[in-house]
Amino acid sequence: MKEYAIFLGCIIPNRYPGIETTSTSILKDFDIELLPINGASCCPAPGVFSSFHLESWLAIAARNIAIGEETGRDIVTMCNGCYGSLAEANHLLNGNKELKDKINDILSKVGCEFKGNSKIKHMIEVFSEDIGVKKIQEYMKNPLDGIKVCTHYGCHFLKPSEIKKHGSSERPKFLDELVRATGAESIDYKDKTMCCGFGGGVRARDIDVTLDFTREKLKNIISAGGDCIVDQCASCHLEFDRGQAEIKKIYGEEFRLPVLYFTQLIGLGIGMGQKELGLTFQNIPAESLLDKINGRKK
Amino acid sequence: MTEFSPRIVAFCCNWCSYVGADLAGTSRLQYPDNIRIIKVMCSGQVFPSYILKALELGADGVMVAGCHIGDCHYVSGNKKAQERVETLLRVMKTLGLDPRRVRLEWISASEGVKFANTVKEFVEEVKELGPNQLGVRE
Amino acid sequence: MTNIGVYICHCGTNIAGVVDVEALAKRVAKLKDVSLARDYKYMCSNPGQDLIRDDIKHRNLDRVVVAACSPRMHENTYKKVLASAGLNPFLLEIANIREQASWVHLDKEKTTNKAFDLINMAVSKVRMDEPLTSMSANVIQRVLVIGAGIAGIQTSLDIANIGYDVVLVEKEQSIGGRMSQLGKTFPTLDCSACILTPKMVEVSSNPRIKLFTYSEVEEISGFIGNFKAKIRKKSRGLDESLCTGCGLCQEKCPTRVPSEYDEKMGKRKAIYTLFPQAVPNIPVIDRASCLYITKGKCGVCKKVCPVGAIDYERGDEFIEEEVGAVVVASGFDPFDPTSKEEYGFGIYKNVITGLQLERLLHAAGPTQGEVVRPSDGAVPKRIAFVQCVGSRDEHANKYCSRVCCMYAIKNALLIKEHHPESEIFIYYIDIRAFGKGYEEFYKRAQEKGIKFMRGRVAEIFEEPASRNPVIRADDTLLGMVTENEVDMVVLSVGMIPRSDSSRIQKMLGLAASPDGFFMEAHAKLRPVDTLVDGVFLAGTAQGPKDIPDTVAQAKGAASGALGVVSHKALLLSPLISEVDERLCRGCGDCKDVCEYGAIELVTLDTRKVAKINPAICKGCGSCVVACCNGSIKLRNFTDSITFAMLEAALGGAL
Repeated sequence: MKEYAIFLGCIIPNRYPGIETTSTSILKDFDIELLPINGASCCPAPGVFSSFHLESWLAIAARNIAIGEETGRDIVTMCNGCYGSLAEANHLLNGNKELKDKINDILSKVGCEFKGNSKIKHMIEVFSEDIGVKKIQEYMKNPLDGIKVCTHYGCHFLKPSEIKKHGSSERPKFLDELVRATGAESIDYKDKTMCCGFGGGVRARDIDVTLDFTREKLKNIISAGGDCIVDQCASCHLEFDRGQAEIKKIYGEEFRLPVLYFTQLIGLGIGMGQKELGLTFQNIPAESLLDKINGRKK
Repeated sequence: MTEFSPRIVAFCCNWCSYVGADLAGTSRLQYPDNIRIIKVMCSGQVFPSYILKALELGADGVMVAGCHIGDCHYVSGNKKAQERVETLLRVMKTLGLDPRRVRLEWISASEGVKFANTVKEFVEEVKELGPNQLGVRE
Repeated sequence: MTNIGVYICHCGTNIAGVVDVEALAKRVAKLKDVSLARDYKYMCSNPGQDLIRDDIKHRNLDRVVVAACSPRMHENTYKKVLASAGLNPFLLEIANIREQASWVHLDKEKTTNKAFDLINMAVSKVRMDEPLTSMSANVIQRVLVIGAGIAGIQTSLDIANIGYDVVLVEKEQSIGGRMSQLGKTFPTLDCSACILTPKMVEVSSNPRIKLFTYSEVEEISGFIGNFKAKIRKKSRGLDESLCTGCGLCQEKCPTRVPSEYDEKMGKRKAIYTLFPQAVPNIPVIDRASCLYITKGKCGVCKKVCPVGAIDYERGDEFIEEEVGAVVVASGFDPFDPTSKEEYGFGIYKNVITGLQLERLLHAAGPTQGEVVRPSDGAVPKRIAFVQCVGSRDEHANKYCSRVCCMYAIKNALLIKEHHPESEIFIYYIDIRAFGKGYEEFYKRAQEKGIKFMRGRVAEIFEEPASRNPVIRADDTLLGMVTENEVDMVVLSVGMIPRSDSSRIQKMLGLAASPDGFFMEAHAKLRPVDTLVDGVFLAGTAQGPKDIPDTVAQAKGAASGALGVVSHKALLLSPLISEVDERLCRGCGDCKDVCEYGAIELVTLDTRKVAKINPAICKGCGSCVVACCNGSIKLRNFTDSITFAMLEAALGGAL
């Protein structure tokens, strides 16, 4: 039995609760339990907050880590943005005693202390390392042969590579390997490592720029023949899902490309239905994908 | 009251750290003038008793600087220096001497910047420790 | 009671600009045993040296201290002055008041005080120094040259032609090195093989050069004038003395594997020579790909060889050679751009390296000089060169590799002249055209219509259908991000130290510069010497450079080596350790710590005592500290001297 403290962030509880429920239920099958972090706030959004005021960002992030540390477990998150915020704050504070003391001074006013004992992990690491590709393969009930997936790694998990140290940030492989473990094909597409457009506070400040990125990615994926996009970040997930609705409204272009979080893809492979996976909450219907999967059975 | 200006003695080896100190000079890197360098052929030539003598004579800090491990011109002189200094540091505490006054550093011939920075750091650290009460000072 | 003379150099304003040299001289003159203290503009000049000489003769000085620049600059100069005046040269000490005082501190008063302390320390030492005599050791008048590329070849020829013997050891099966892989060389576009092969033939026919190919130096021991090298002559799988170089074996061998010499752009056989003009023209059997050796099949080469030279079981040979000096000319490796993932080398077939293009352009290369692209063998019409791959890069190597701008321009010109309709782009950050004729060559390339695009290439991706690489770069002159689809991309990779350079480094006790290449003794004034006496550097082993600079440096290294071996005997430093046999207990602790095996236990009367071989002892002092009862002393660096220096350093006795 392995335990992690789960940091939910904002987007998943508010918009895509299916990501949480899917991940939690699959992890149970692998004997991994997620403990709640009570009183956690927004991570806070790394691009927006740290560019305005470094200390405010650090203090809020440190408080989240401090509460998480109380469970005595490492902290895991399902969003690249939350991961980036917490991991970078953790790294900064552990490396600079003066800064750490300063932040703990602020935290003492709310009865918290950042110790730096817990590692910050991403859900993809739990699946890639704790569980591993082989076990996922064995776990599949209806392998997703014939499904063409375009993966999107996002930015904040891999970079800056000096801090994150998850291997190559130019040509990462782990998400593609997990996709292949479900039986689906992970296909290449133009500018695969490009940002979705959400981050760095850009979506809040200048949504036209953001949607420009998103449109280009979607066009490249359609061009390459992808049946769906599989991501590992709640923010990217929102960007691709909600973004398609916004693009339809503003540009009149329609893509209807299903957007899946990687655990939702795994869920499909063990026969979970739309409702269970929370896909009915999403803007873009996943019918086309499910038809293709079910169509094969016939 | 004048600010305490520590007296630092450094034993620098002929092949690496002394050359690194010269490089700091040719690069015109500035560092505090508190340091006096004694050139030895090898850091492995430095007796632990030299370090103690320096402290007895009034040095506030003593540095031994040699080549990086694996690069010693005499193969393993620096390894011997490391063993001797580490043993000395343990003994110093028992003798009531502050081991933070002694610093062992590996500085190569091309590390002028490291030499200057090490001196700056060490002088600051020794300033914090205050004057060495052991020696007879003028 | 001694008469110490102290000389304080101004070094122009280098010292005098910070240190109050006149006041310092007055203060120093008051030190015990100092008979006179002078300050002078340039102590190292002839008049400066004369000052010392005259004072020794007329003022009866018996010790000298010079307070000036680092002893690494002029210690030898002043030693010669003392000797010429009849004073033992070891009665000299240098106080480093420039590199370690006036150049690193600003406060005039404090620096002058420091200079006083440093001079006082030198005076304390020189007062107790003993006169020493250098011993003489016989010099073996031969030179070992490691590496037979153009650098090693030039060095060997120079030494041999002056009349001294050379042992030349080359790792590959033929001499010639990287230069033999090149087609035409910049800026003259003369053919590399044409200028190299005559020198290669000269080497093979020169009676003074003992050539070992397909061999490596495994161990070197000894010291200047007396090195002993252990060479491993790897087995070629055949008897060289029988082989005539007819080439039948190579012709008939059925196995084909990627050729390392062709940078994997072509294939070679399992029994192969590197190139047609190889010296020696004897093949090697690659044990990993030979069918007979790996599977017991084939054996065709043995069957067809007219002289029965093939000998699969033949083992390596070990040879020992004694030499007086060593020249390291082990060359470079090209940077492997696989780690620059954004360029897709190794993933996109039509992205190749500069050296791979060089092999394609080579008239005797895998495509006989026709540039074709790997994915489909088509002749590329749009070609892009990417400069500074692996060089000038915080994530790879920080240094500039010097030759890449020129080799890219050269190859671009060659392609453009052969196919005038081609469009060639060179993506650069800066163009370095520093040598003779280089800038003119660059201009010629621009006039021919080669397009120079200024900006770092951000990434290369591929059009899946055509396998055409697309370059995405920041064009700083246009001020925009550009995308350019081409037929082939050439990465101008830089130079890195050879993969076995750290082994050679440890073997010889050499230092490496921060860039990883072997370190020269002094960046400006001693570019071919190393800090190890008797070991010299030549060519790209010391750092990236072009052929003219390599040859010049090789000739310099030859001169350095000759400076050692042209003497029948050399004076060895007497600054070594010695045992006081009355005190020695014969415990052997000193013997255990000596890395050079300089100490033996011998019988004296009825007891055992340690004996140090003065020819081997390096004066490192390890044994001195290891000795538990102080029987060993390091000459002119005793405990008393150290304590006296410490007292002076800490503002002690005046």
